[in-house]
Amino acid sequence: MSPLPGSGRAEQLAQAVAERVVSIVMEAIDIDALLDRIDVDALISRVNVDSVVDRVDVDKLIDRVDVEKIIDRVDVEKIIDRVDVEKIIERVDVEQIVQRIDIDALMEKTELGTIIARSTTGVVSEVLDVVRAQGVGLDDFIARWTNRILRRKPGTLPLGPAALVGPDASQPALTAGGG
Amino acid sequence: MILENTKPIEGRQGHYAGAVTRLVAFAADIGASWGLFTLGAAALAFTVQLVSGTKFSLSNYQIASLIAAVIWEFLYFAYQWTLGGKTLGMALLGIRVVKADGSAIGARQAVVRTVTLPLSFLVFGLGFLGILINRDRHAWHDRFAGTSVVYSWDARAARLRWLARKDPSPTA
Repeated sequence: MSPLPGSGRAEQLAQAVAERVVSIVMEAIDIDALLDRIDVDALISRVNVDSVVDRVDVDKLIDRVDVEKIIDRVDVEKIIDRVDVEKIIERVDVEQIVQRIDIDALMEKTELGTIIARSTTGVVSEVLDVVRAQGVGLDDFIARWTNRILRRKPGTLPLGPAALVGPDASQPALTAGGG
Repeated sequence: MILENTKPIEGRQGHYAGAVTRLVAFAADIGASWGLFTLGAAALAFTVQLVSGTKFSLSNYQIASLIAAVIWEFLYFAYQWTLGGKTLGMALLGIRVVKADGSAIGARQAVVRTVTLPLSFLVFGLGFLGILINRDRHAWHDRFAGTSVVYSWDARAARLRWLARKDPSPTA
């Protein structure tokens, strides 16, 4: 109840006038023209995005997302069709991948060893491998000391004919002594 | 096992072969060629003796046997290098001869290499010093023939074979 007599009626009148005025003003305003005049970039720059993000409960948001529904709507076939597999393969450095494989572990954990053992001849190839490995080891030993005596940097020496090892291949820096 | 104590050797196919491997391969070739020559001489002596009934030995004809030995050595090296770029000893040690650019050698390079090989022995084997000190490990006969000696042995495959032998049934 209003404290003064007649104040309730005045209040109603004021409310009606205000509603009418707002309605007239809204009709008179050209919203598009108004939006055109707003500098959105300047407006955005004044928004503190970090504080907005801080106020967002991401977990709650994620809980409300139906991932299954999104996945159902994705056309995987279309995506695969757009992928240039050849280009990807070209960019893969197979040599580097092979170098990173721990062959010892691979042989221990898989049946690869059994398969290779069955496909290779026994004692003769073993003897040859040993002789050749020893030869290469001694070659490296002598090359190291020759380079040391001649004060040559191994990195500047060619590995082999360009057609077999590539045009820019040079010896890795071997540590002197040992082996 | 010797391989057990050595560091794994990376694939060396196409790399210039070192002095020790080449020396051992050459020694194996000298042994093989002389062995085959001696066998041939013995077979010839046996055949002549069988046909004529008189005792025959090639060592009694020193000049003839020297010429035969030289021709035989020439054929041994030149023929095998022409055929596949490697001799018996080189095949054992896993090395082969290629042109200096890495392509396969032809009959011309094989013949020039064989003919100039004795030159590397002159002046106390000075011609072989290049294998040690030259950047591309060329001996004199390599320079004359325009050839290089490279590893043809796949060390990585050998390592796999060795690991396979070490434990042939890992999952059994």
